Amino acid sequence: MIYKWRRLGENSLFLAPSIILTITLGIYPLFWMLRYMFYDYAGYGEALFIGLDNFRRLLRDGLFWESVRNTFVFAGGKLLLTLPLSLLLAVILNGKLRGVSLLRGIYFMPTVISTAVISVVFYNIFNSYNGMVNTVLMKLHLVSAPVDWLGPKHAMLTVIIVAVWGAVGNYMLLFLAGLQSIPQDLYESAAIDGANAGRRFWNITLPMLAPVAQMVIMLAIIASLKGYESIMVITEGGPIGKTEVMYLYLYKLLFPVSTGSPVAQQLGYGSAVGFASAVIVGAVTGLYFFFSRKMNKVY
Amino acid sequence: MLIKGVERMQKKWLGLSLSLMLAAGIAGCGGGNSNKGSATEAPEAGTAVPAATAAAGSNTAASEPVQLKYWTDDRHDQEYIKELINKFNETNGENIQVELTVMSENYAQSVDIAFTSNQAPDLLRLKSGNTAEFVKKGYLAPIDGYLTDDIKTKFGSVIIDNVNRFDGKVYSLANTGLTLRLIYNKDLFAKAGIANPPVSLQEMVDDAKKITEQGKGEGVYGFALNFKSPKSAFDRSIREILSLSGYQGLGFDLKTGQFDFAPYSQTIEYFKQMYEDGSILPGAETLDIDPLRAQFAAGKIGMYLSFSTEPGVYQDQFPTEINWAGALAPTLEGQIKGTSEIVSAGTWLGISAKSAHQEAAWKFMQYMYGDDILKTYHEKGFGIAVVPTIVEQANNPEINGMEGFLVGEHDSLWPAVPSVTPEGSTYADAFFKYILAGGDAKAITEDLNTRYNAALTKAVEKGEVTVTPDPAFDPLKPQGE
Repeated sequence: MIYKWRRLGENSLFLAPSIILTITLGIYPLFWMLRYMFYDYAGYGEALFIGLDNFRRLLRDGLFWESVRNTFVFAGGKLLLTLPLSLLLAVILNGKLRGVSLLRGIYFMPTVISTAVISVVFYNIFNSYNGMVNTVLMKLHLVSAPVDWLGPKHAMLTVIIVAVWGAVGNYMLLFLAGLQSIPQDLYESAAIDGANAGRRFWNITLPMLAPVAQMVIMLAIIASLKGYESIMVITEGGPIGKTEVMYLYLYKLLFPVSTGSPVAQQLGYGSAVGFASAVIVGAVTGLYFFFSRKMNKVY
Repeated sequence: MLIKGVERMQKKWLGLSLSLMLAAGIAGCGGGNSNKGSATEAPEAGTAVPAATAAAGSNTAASEPVQLKYWTDDRHDQEYIKELINKFNETNGENIQVELTVMSENYAQSVDIAFTSNQAPDLLRLKSGNTAEFVKKGYLAPIDGYLTDDIKTKFGSVIIDNVNRFDGKVYSLANTGLTLRLIYNKDLFAKAGIANPPVSLQEMVDDAKKITEQGKGEGVYGFALNFKSPKSAFDRSIREILSLSGYQGLGFDLKTGQFDFAPYSQTIEYFKQMYEDGSILPGAETLDIDPLRAQFAAGKIGMYLSFSTEPGVYQDQFPTEINWAGALAPTLEGQIKGTSEIVSAGTWLGISAKSAHQEAAWKFMQYMYGDDILKTYHEKGFGIAVVPTIVEQANNPEINGMEGFLVGEHDSLWPAVPSVTPEGSTYADAFFKYILAGGDAKAITEDLNTRYNAALTKAVEKGEVTVTPDPAFDPLKPQGE
């Protein structure tokens, strides 16, 4: 009994730093935001209680709903490209290739580089006046005039490509961990039974990977719905709002970026937008969890 | 053994509870500050000015030095300012020691944190972008008590409501301002057979087209702006075009005291035309100001509009071989019906409301606002002098291209306009969308008028801004006679 108590004391001590930090930096501000979403509050000065006015404004805020739509386009595009690519890479790099560790390291590299740095580099690659992509395309005579990769028509595609480049290595690593936990004897017995590589992938790898995949996909969904950093550096949500995603819109309300729109800090309304955004991400994640519940029950 | 174990455990729990109490304490402090709001401190700040006869600085002079902290986010002039401070520290005779801190980034946030944690500096660099907010937050002490008749005469014409004077109290004085000009590549103009920079918007559209036709093969385009932030782009171009054409440059009608974006929308049509002509640098939609300058320095852009900071930029940041100059912005119809607005003028130094040495801080301010220093500041090219007596005395700065930016007969300060936060897009985003994607210009203008005026009414009701219509306002004499 005493031993158990002693363990509790020791454990609590170890847990204390993270609990204190979570409470002060995570939970306390959360309650603070939950309170201010009912206020007209710029971030300083007087906070005026306005009931549900911020939510009424949210319902008629075209910019917000456009950002929600953009978020789904961005997240959808990113997931559709990232997940198959990272699984493919994981399967290839799970084999016995020469220099496999080096390749894994290279593919994982974008995850450890600062997003801001990546984004500045990609801006220079894609900008239409002297970007590398246009220079190459024009030298190969594939296009006659520079393509406006960051213009209203292609900007979303460009920021998706950058996001995919940054994310593939990360999910590859998670899939790789899942692949390595599949017992080898399953493959051996299947091979004895005469199953070829395609069949082994379809009937063993995929089902055995399902529980891991369920978590990986969930993490990917949340990350892509919340992601905005690279967009902020490359286009700042522009041109004309074409790449404005939900969390970037929220960020700008709470911490106005340079002189971009919205120009003034609006903490009260920002809190309401933050709440709505969290509900949307939560709802999507919840729906995904419901529909993917069978992935968990493979063995 | 058992007892010892229990004691040890009790000590650990004690430690843990202490940590939690500390955390709760921190959280409590934060809550207290945010709830209280700094607005309540503002009136106190207003009354906290010591009379000019108070001896906060001189009493302590004999014993230990009065330490003053001066914070600025100006980096371009720091060597010169350091020199001035050293001289002041040696010669003030009252044992006042000023310590300079130059902030690199996030100046406003650093000031916020300093004031919340009672570590505020005594003196602050004030800019037109942050002064109103600092006053609202109660950070600044009024300086009316110190203003002698001489000072009032010297700075009188550049003491402006909602710029350096709020609710009848003066918080700072003017030193320099920024003029805005059309910046053009003379070589590209000559190559396209154009003799002079455009004086009307139609000429600007035509010139941009000619330059593009001439140079497109080499990646040269007639016009560009930093459209990554449409507001930043328009506030350095349309603002000036409009003020020189006789309209306030941010869409406010000073005569009626209401927002009216009709003249703005007229100007936008010409920008739209340039976009449709293909005369604007491709990719300008996501261009920041520095990449734009790099392209201009490389001779790829015919013209753009910007502040008088540009000559310095092309001297240090992007040294260039091209032959360029600054000229007055074009106007709507080619006739000057107003004055080119001098921006970011009216403020320089201010005193903290929390400073224990406000008298000493004023001594330093008085020294900095001396004729010689203001004159040299201008002559060294750190900013363009706006104080009339200094403008008269000072020689021109020796920076290539600066001659086109100096304050002349067509430049003047304009009354400050209320800053409001409308719901939905800003005027800049709405009009930029119109340039790129088209739409109904009239409907966009009406929608902007409605939303901006609604936000204005709300701000007036909340007491955040005051508006006094001036039916007799003359854009040729924005500050009156």
